[in-house]
Amino acid sequence: MTTAGVGRRARQADPAPRQATGSLLAGLRLARLYAASRRAATCLLVLAACAVALRVALHWLPRNGVFARQIPLIIEAGIAAVIGVTADSPFGEPERAAGRWLPYLRLAAALALSGAAFGALAAGSASQHLDGGTLGLLRDLAGFVGLGFLTGAVLGGALAWIGPIGYLAITLPTLAGHWTTPWLWPDRPPHDRGAAICAGLVFAAGLAVVTVRGARAWFR
Amino acid sequence: MTAATAPAAPAAQARPSRLRLPGPARLLRLELRRSIMPWLLPLFAVLFWLVTFHPAMANPPFWNVRSGIVQSHTLLAFAPLLAGAAAWAGSREHRRGVADLVGITALPRWAAHLAAWAATTCWAEAVYLAGVAVLYGVTAHQGAWGGPLLWPAAVGAAFVAASCALGFTAGVLLPSRFTAPVAAFVMFLALAGGAFALQANIAYAQIWPLNVQGAFPADSYGVFYPYLPDLPIAQLMFLGGLAAAALGGLGLPAPAGGRWLRITAAAVTAAGLAAASTAVALAGTARLEPHGIVIPALHDAASDRPTPYTQVCGHTAIPICLHPAYRALLPDVTAALGAVLSQIAGLPGAPVRVTEVAVTTVKAEPGNGIALGGPVIGGHPPVLYLPLAGMALPGQGTASSIAANLRQQDGPWILSLLVGLPGQLGAPTGVNVIPDVGPNQSAQLAVVDGLVRALGLARSGALSAGIQRGMAPGSPQELAAAQRFAALPAAARHAWLMTHLAALRAGRISLSEIP
Repeated sequence: MTTAGVGRRARQADPAPRQATGSLLAGLRLARLYAASRRAATCLLVLAACAVALRVALHWLPRNGVFARQIPLIIEAGIAAVIGVTADSPFGEPERAAGRWLPYLRLAAALALSGAAFGALAAGSASQHLDGGTLGLLRDLAGFVGLGFLTGAVLGGALAWIGPIGYLAITLPTLAGHWTTPWLWPDRPPHDRGAAICAGLVFAAGLAVVTVRGARAWFR
Repeated sequence: MTAATAPAAPAAQARPSRLRLPGPARLLRLELRRSIMPWLLPLFAVLFWLVTFHPAMANPPFWNVRSGIVQSHTLLAFAPLLAGAAAWAGSREHRRGVADLVGITALPRWAAHLAAWAATTCWAEAVYLAGVAVLYGVTAHQGAWGGPLLWPAAVGAAFVAASCALGFTAGVLLPSRFTAPVAAFVMFLALAGGAFALQANIAYAQIWPLNVQGAFPADSYGVFYPYLPDLPIAQLMFLGGLAAAALGGLGLPAPAGGRWLRITAAAVTAAGLAAASTAVALAGTARLEPHGIVIPALHDAASDRPTPYTQVCGHTAIPICLHPAYRALLPDVTAALGAVLSQIAGLPGAPVRVTEVAVTTVKAEPGNGIALGGPVIGGHPPVLYLPLAGMALPGQGTASSIAANLRQQDGPWILSLLVGLPGQLGAPTGVNVIPDVGPNQSAQLAVVDGLVRALGLARSGALSAGIQRGMAPGSPQELAAAQRFAALPAAARHAWLMTHLAALRAGRISLSEIP
């Protein structure tokens, strides 16, 4: 902030026909500022890097076996962890008190980043063999992202990564164990309805919580 | 009003004096109280139960099996989370916007960083070692034979410290909200990459911290012979070197401290890198031996002396003697091999005793695989060395499955050895393969096949089931001879073998001479 603008006359109010355009511009500016405060651009860069990593990994990995399952899962969990920490607010209480549009911005950002993550990974795995296919990718990624949002709401946005990474730590050793519980959805086949429902529920719950409540900063 | 006119305040009541700790200890105590780790302890406890304790309890109480899980499973779950938590702790000053403020304090930044890393590591080690203590305590309570294997736990503890050091350094040098998740993610990727390199048979990948004696089955080491510490020593060097290099790197930037402090940090970094590189080079020289992975430069010949124990023997025609840890398997082994041993007892060259061993021979296979050898007859008087590693542990599997494995794999194998067929490595699938059987050994094959049929060791006989000639299945003449021999009474077979076994072994018996 500078004093360069001190002493200048205030701008004239916009005429009525310009109000709609002004509102739109203000909305876009608000969204841009929100995205900047959450480091969305860096998050998108990480997503792109993960997509490249997935493509490289799928090129070298065997088509079947534990590694063909593990590496994509690790990348999905990493992406979910990064998306989770973007929910962290650097402003805290003042923003919550004054931000009327905050829930909408949170919802839009969460959906946009989740969609971008899926798009990036789907593009990264295009024309390569992805164990579990695109359906499995969607299910697993949605579950991981939902866990990230839920953890962000409980522990704080900065620690939202603990959810997906901790869940991955549980599921990786059980990949060869043929678990049947749908709550360990990465261990289930891609067309398993129970696993899809569980992952979807977790994503919906995470999205709802992060929209309504946001990621509180309990730990600094 | 000035302070000069203010009434003198009464002297504050002196607080009861607490234990006066030296400066670094006070700093460490502060960091221990401010660490995020206590809040994560429940998560680590749940992870330990799910990933380590539950699978370990599903196995019988054998130190080698459970110690291996402590190193491999636990660290796979803990290391990425610890790296993330340490990165979060390392980026604390940046996150709170106090980096400039603390940068001008008298305390060198390197010392402050080391204290913060030490606090995170202390909590991490506490939770890891507590978990290991619980698991080992339960295992001891369940009556496991021998003593706990400490090398896997030591490698695990070193990996905990190294994970914290790497994550913490990343947090200090690249502070951002994304540092913690990316550090955890990269740690996961590095572990997966190491496993992939190990699978690709890259020799240097033996250093992978989750590697417990390579591809050896967990029940094949640490019971009959001491746990070979060669690979754990190299892993400790590697992990210690990585941690030292990472922590030394924190002291290199100008704000870290004075000139001498930075020179010390540079020396620590260089020493750490040298130790890690040396460990990787040593791991590249590792080779498979029957009792574990041997690194010649680190190998101690004392580790090759067997662990003393008193065998547990059964009462069969040829006594079967097992290791006391496998005492519970004795009835199953006796039931499975009793018929074979009764048939061959007293024959010239037949073993006078069956002794259990961990492994007879090993051979590295592609894809980080391992081929374990079958039974071997050796010594004077002859003794049959019977390996049971990789088959089943007491309390694991059903008695019938253990007996079936022994009858179908080891029974024909023992008969083959007796008639002079070459003992070879068993394939990983458990099928005994005897390649390079010469044409003058048809009679030996037919006799083995006949015995297998007569004793009911395999449904279709050795010629068509377990034993292959390498070139073609048994000829009609061989099958006919085998069927003739199988149809003989047991006493007649035994009597014929008594007189003809030496000639049969020498390849001087033709198919037509088999009764």
